[in-house]
Amino acid sequence: MSIRLQLLIVALTTLILPWAGCQYARELENALRVSQENALESTADTIALALSAQPARVFHGSEDSRPYAEEQGDQYVFALRTAPLLDGYHEDWGVAAEPQRLPSPDGYGARVQLGSTDRYLFLYVQVDEPRFVAEPANPDVDKDRFDRLDMTLEQPDGSLESYFFATGAPGLIEAQKTVIQADGSAHIATEPRIQAYWLETAGGYHLEARVPLALVGSRLWVEAREASGRKAGFAADSARGGRLFMATSGLGELLATFIRPGTRATVVDANGLKLGTSGALRAADLEDDSSGTWYRRFVTVDTSAWPVQASLPDRMTGKSITAALAGLPAAEWLRSSGGAQDLLLLAAAPIAVDGRTRGAVVLEQSGDQLLDLRDRALARLFDLTLLATALAVVFAFSLATFISVRIGRLRSAADSAVGNDGRIRLEMPESGSADEIGALARAFERLLARLDEHARYLRTLGGKLSHELRTPLTIVRSSLDNLESEGVRGDQRGYLTRAREGTGRLQSILAALGAASRVEESIKQAERVSFDLADLARAAVAGYRDAFPHARFALDVPADGCLLFGAPELIAQMLDKLVENAVDFTPPEGTITVKLARADGKYELSVENDGPSIPDAMLGRLFESLFEHRQGSDDKPHFGLGLYIVRLIAEFHDGTALAVNRPDGNGAAFVVSLPMI
Amino acid sequence: MKKSIAIVEDEPALRENYAAALSRHGYQVKTYANRKVAMQAFTTRLPDLAIIDISLEDEAEGGFDLCRDLRAMSAELPIIFLTARDSELDAVSGLRLGADDFLTKDVSLPHLAARVAALFRRIDALRLPQNATDMVRRGALVMDAGKMQTTWNARPVTLSLTEFWIVHALALNPGHVKNRQQLMDAANVVLDDSTITSHIKRLRRKFLEIDPAFDAVQTVYGMGYRWVE
Repeated sequence: MSIRLQLLIVALTTLILPWAGCQYARELENALRVSQENALESTADTIALALSAQPARVFHGSEDSRPYAEEQGDQYVFALRTAPLLDGYHEDWGVAAEPQRLPSPDGYGARVQLGSTDRYLFLYVQVDEPRFVAEPANPDVDKDRFDRLDMTLEQPDGSLESYFFATGAPGLIEAQKTVIQADGSAHIATEPRIQAYWLETAGGYHLEARVPLALVGSRLWVEAREASGRKAGFAADSARGGRLFMATSGLGELLATFIRPGTRATVVDANGLKLGTSGALRAADLEDDSSGTWYRRFVTVDTSAWPVQASLPDRMTGKSITAALAGLPAAEWLRSSGGAQDLLLLAAAPIAVDGRTRGAVVLEQSGDQLLDLRDRALARLFDLTLLATALAVVFAFSLATFISVRIGRLRSAADSAVGNDGRIRLEMPESGSADEIGALARAFERLLARLDEHARYLRTLGGKLSHELRTPLTIVRSSLDNLESEGVRGDQRGYLTRAREGTGRLQSILAALGAASRVEESIKQAERVSFDLADLARAAVAGYRDAFPHARFALDVPADGCLLFGAPELIAQMLDKLVENAVDFTPPEGTITVKLARADGKYELSVENDGPSIPDAMLGRLFESLFEHRQGSDDKPHFGLGLYIVRLIAEFHDGTALAVNRPDGNGAAFVVSLPMI
Repeated sequence: MKKSIAIVEDEPALRENYAAALSRHGYQVKTYANRKVAMQAFTTRLPDLAIIDISLEDEAEGGFDLCRDLRAMSAELPIIFLTARDSELDAVSGLRLGADDFLTKDVSLPHLAARVAALFRRIDALRLPQNATDMVRRGALVMDAGKMQTTWNARPVTLSLTEFWIVHALALNPGHVKNRQQLMDAANVVLDDSTITSHIKRLRRKFLEIDPAFDAVQTVYGMGYRWVE
């Protein structure tokens, strides 16, 4: 894995920051939630305390704490904001609840709902009446059968008064009641204070009635009766049922003084029925910031297990309310029955009057504020951490690139530190840097310097060796000379001759070993002059023809002058070595060609010879010092110094020496390129 | 009277071998192991010829110092360097200090004896009356082999013995190419090719100091050198 990739991965670990941020946000949200819970709970407590000091403004009567029994005809009376129009429709009541079905022994369908303003009680009844039977004019209460709606009121003084609604034609009507006269006969009288609207519909009729609160005590029974005798509802029974559970008028306004916007306060009685409500929850406005909410999925507290808000129009239920009604303040988080995202905080506190819990204050608050707060914090957090991550990645990547480029430079320098010619380049890039890479480069330099020292030692070893061995060899030889001069016996002469041969060979080996250092030295002292290379080659080849009478030489040089600024003696010496080498490897009848040609700013001086080709593996190493592999045609020791000298001289002239095999496989060519000056 | 030769050589075996060989040739040989001992003896009496090694015991260049001191004591005393050091630098230094010959230890004892004899002959020749054939005149060049004197355009050129004989050999047959071996034979020296080259360079420079247009010693690559008039 490249350093770049590694650092990139390291940089990506900064992505842990947003994750940590999410964790933190979640903690924050929990903390906020708890604090909101506490705050709301204490507010609820405060309101409850305030309300318990003035029970008259909260509770209607003393009966309210008895259990609410819907099946016995107990009715909840919705608090109406404004008095509705008497028109047979109850949509203008502003009550979300459907009318409540009245029990019927024979399947007569009727539903009822009650509402009140501060002056009137409103009654709304829907009756499924497939066949409407109208009230005859001047009906006989005992005999005539027609569709009617009975309503019995318990009057404020406790007596019961029964009315009925019936009509011959739909429209605005008045309630009627049977009046028993002194003679015992009954006749029907209208009650103008109780007005109603009879609306005929496709499936029956609706009745919307208005009763002044002055006529109403605490009970009311409604019974719908069909002409055929079927009925639904509750017959008046002073012993039980029919109680009215009314919202307390003015309570809403009272509550409004306690609460802040965005909070809804509700007072419930011991049954959980709403006595008054004020305020509205802040509408969820999730649409306009949906862009900032995509990361909610990472941070949202799992609310799926939370209870869903029980949204009943007439009462409040739930754990907290049950607890509050049992005397313990409580708060809980609910999921709104509306949107899945809406959270709702509900706090309930008991209202205790004279040591008895008579109801509870319920405060509701949207959790959206909290979400907003969290989202805003999160959005900032995300932006910042993503920016940090991006910066970290960019920085890490740049750093990695910088480092890997430098290491790459070092590597390629290390690769090429030892050149093809065996020379060692001592300078490394980056060695001036103060960091670890610089230290590495310097370590490389030290290593190379030692290597170079060693290589230099090896190069000079031959010269030193030949020098050191020369004295003992001279002792042997001079001793042999003396021995010979003193006279030896004829049979001993053979040994002497052999000893001489041995020392002779040793001497030539030592001479060869020392030659390289001598040449290096003379090269150092060589002087450059301007001379004609072609002339030199011509003269030299003429000389070779004399020196090697058995070899055949061919010459191929340009007719015009080839001026070179260099050391002619050295060039001649170089040519000597190349020709000597060629002579060694040329078979009898083979030809040695000395060629001089110009090629883009260079002179190419080459010596080619017929004969065996050179193995490829050796081509590049022929010019090394003391490299010897080729078996020459004579018994002279071959230490490859000749070609090493060729290289030294070529390099002195800023040129190169190269060995190649001839394309036709017959022989080799040694080419020296010398730049023209 | 026997000619006396001083051998200053720190290697005992070699010293004894050389002494034995030269004694056999009829010379009176004295051997010294280091410069101090040698100088003590030389202040008392100078030998007729000195053979000196360059490195003497703990003095790496002791031979050079000795040569300088000897030359200061006598301008004519023939001095031969006989050393294992064969670099051109050493040879040139030695010759520049006034040595008459520079031999490497590759030289055989008979050859050494021959060189010593040749040197004595040359010294003797200096003392003989001038012989006409010893005079060489080639244009601006005049060489007196008897006095070992050279002039160019009537101005003296101070050549060493070896250089003198090289120029002498070349000038004797103008136009003829002399290869290195021939030059070595003429100068009675055993030198390798590069030392001959450096001798040629040095003597050219000496002529050039007198006459910047000097171009009489020509290199014939691959063959040798010739005198051009």
